Amino acid sequence: MAETMQCLTDPAHRPGQRPVIALEGVSKTYPKQSKPAVAELNLVVPEGAIVMLIGPSGCGKTTTLKMMNRLIEPTTGRIMLDGEDVTNVNADQLRRRIGYVIQQVGLFPHLTIADNIAVVPKMLGWDKGRITSRVDELLHLVGMEPAEFRDRYPRQLSGGQQQRVGVARGLAADPAVMLMDEPFGAIDPITRERLQDQFLEVQRQVAKTICFVTHDLSEAVKLGDRIAVFAAGGRLAQYDTPSEVLAHPADDFVAEFVGSGAAVRRLSLLELSHLELEEVVISSRGAPTNGHPVLAVDDAGRPSAWHHLPGSAQSPPLVTVPLSGTVYDAVDVMLDGRSPLVVVVDDDGQPRGALRWDALVGDLRTKGKRP
Amino acid sequence: MTADVPAEALPPAGPAQATAAPHRAPGWIWHNRDLVATPVIVVVGLALVLLYTANRQLDSVEQRALDPSYLWAKFVEHIWLAAASTVLVIAIALPLGIALSRPAVDRIRPGTLAFGGFMQALPPYGVIILLAFLLKFGTTTAIIALVVASFLPVLTNTVVGLRQVDPALIEAARGMGMSARQTLLRVELPLAVPVMVAGIRVALVLNVGTATLATFIGAGGLGEPISSMLNLGRPRAVFVASAIVAALALLIDWLAGVAERLVSGRVG
Repeated sequence: MAETMQCLTDPAHRPGQRPVIALEGVSKTYPKQSKPAVAELNLVVPEGAIVMLIGPSGCGKTTTLKMMNRLIEPTTGRIMLDGEDVTNVNADQLRRRIGYVIQQVGLFPHLTIADNIAVVPKMLGWDKGRITSRVDELLHLVGMEPAEFRDRYPRQLSGGQQQRVGVARGLAADPAVMLMDEPFGAIDPITRERLQDQFLEVQRQVAKTICFVTHDLSEAVKLGDRIAVFAAGGRLAQYDTPSEVLAHPADDFVAEFVGSGAAVRRLSLLELSHLELEEVVISSRGAPTNGHPVLAVDDAGRPSAWHHLPGSAQSPPLVTVPLSGTVYDAVDVMLDGRSPLVVVVDDDGQPRGALRWDALVGDLRTKGKRP
Repeated sequence: MTADVPAEALPPAGPAQATAAPHRAPGWIWHNRDLVATPVIVVVGLALVLLYTANRQLDSVEQRALDPSYLWAKFVEHIWLAAASTVLVIAIALPLGIALSRPAVDRIRPGTLAFGGFMQALPPYGVIILLAFLLKFGTTTAIIALVVASFLPVLTNTVVGLRQVDPALIEAARGMGMSARQTLLRVELPLAVPVMVAGIRVALVLNVGTATLATFIGAGGLGEPISSMLNLGRPRAVFVASAIVAALALLIDWLAGVAERLVSGRVG
């Protein structure tokens, strides 16, 4: 499976190896409770990675997150930030170095959007001009027009817009680390989907080290470079890449938590650009078909119909999927178009290859076993 | 959308709030047209009372009691009693309320507020006279009695105002690195101000009314012409003096209401 992973992880986006956050033997026992909420936890978050903390309610994932910026003080253990032991430093100053985004957003209703974003820069003593330009830059980054939103109050914004401002506020002082506590948990599914896409887009630009609590496995698989699955009692049951967690649950607990549908979820991790696609031949170019499917194209070179499909009397309907998509998207398109194969096209609409239903199933089954 | 503040703490979300300053004044009056009623009632009422007295033959006792310079002196005493006691209440109850709103005192909060309720239940008339025997007759004792009478609204409203601030806002503030003090000053207090001002308004109006009892321990105020004219059987003079006290209480309440509207508008 390791080889598959190599092939699936785009080297450009692969997180670095340098640990930015490290929890060393951290435990938390709340007063008047016999069992610890988090027990002897060791967790390393590498630079530039998005680590998703997931698990059932009461598993200690939020406690773990809040110990990273010491909103909750650990009972034992050490917290390392960038190689520095921050277990006993001034907590307020520590938190100004760490972005923090919560589910309830928590925008201050008596401050404008600009003033909300400027809270941490102001505490850090930035001058006015620098704060103003930073606010505008961040509003642009989260896709909100500064001139329109700068002077509004939070109650004049929709839930999705508020959360985008929440993310901008977390990024305000350009912290290396962001802690996010179910930031999209209270948002309707369609808006959530868009916010997640936008979040990944922002992350591509800012490359922060992010710890992200969620209870939504799809969200964890979609956003995470790594997933930390917590079991009750604050035990870290598995800490690995999303496809490893889905394909090889470490124990029965993780297997049950990942549950049925893990194989389908895994499809969304397989990027088409990393697959070996079946060759297709363009009909007008007169090249030998060699048993490959033959495609008719329009003047711009975009596929228009199947010209000839070996071993099939009549041509199936033509469906396409962008190269930037995942196998999940390809399956979706094939099911939707009732077609046994799909043409993968690049950004210009040029065919790059085809993916067959049969080959896809076979491929998924055999790939991990290849040497 | 999260419930950042309870709806009643928000001012009407009129477009005038968001637009530029020049449009604010007319819009503000329009949004608060209910505030016009009180001054009109006070002015018309006082005018009617003055008309009434001007058309009556007053005897020498009534003339002395309704003499403008005498009434003015009593008015100033009255205002002093009410203002001094309210300032004292604010100075004591506000910090105490802030302290009581902290999570660290969760255990003693209910007991302290219950004690405040007990103090509130004591009738001011009894308190003022008992205190006069315990301490001495005069203005200082009267002010202390007024403080006791109006302490609770300021205390409870401060506690309630601070505790109704959405915990998510406090978590966000602390999570961004605000100290406990910064969180209190920049987030909690600004959001609690409307509720706190409402408590101060109640205290002020209570004090203006209760200050009429100060005359019984020789501390003057507008209660003096009322009680002396009652004893001398001059109902017309009692009526005029009472009307002045009532007008004063209404006017003070109105002023405090305007102030309340202003601060909640700013916070929203």
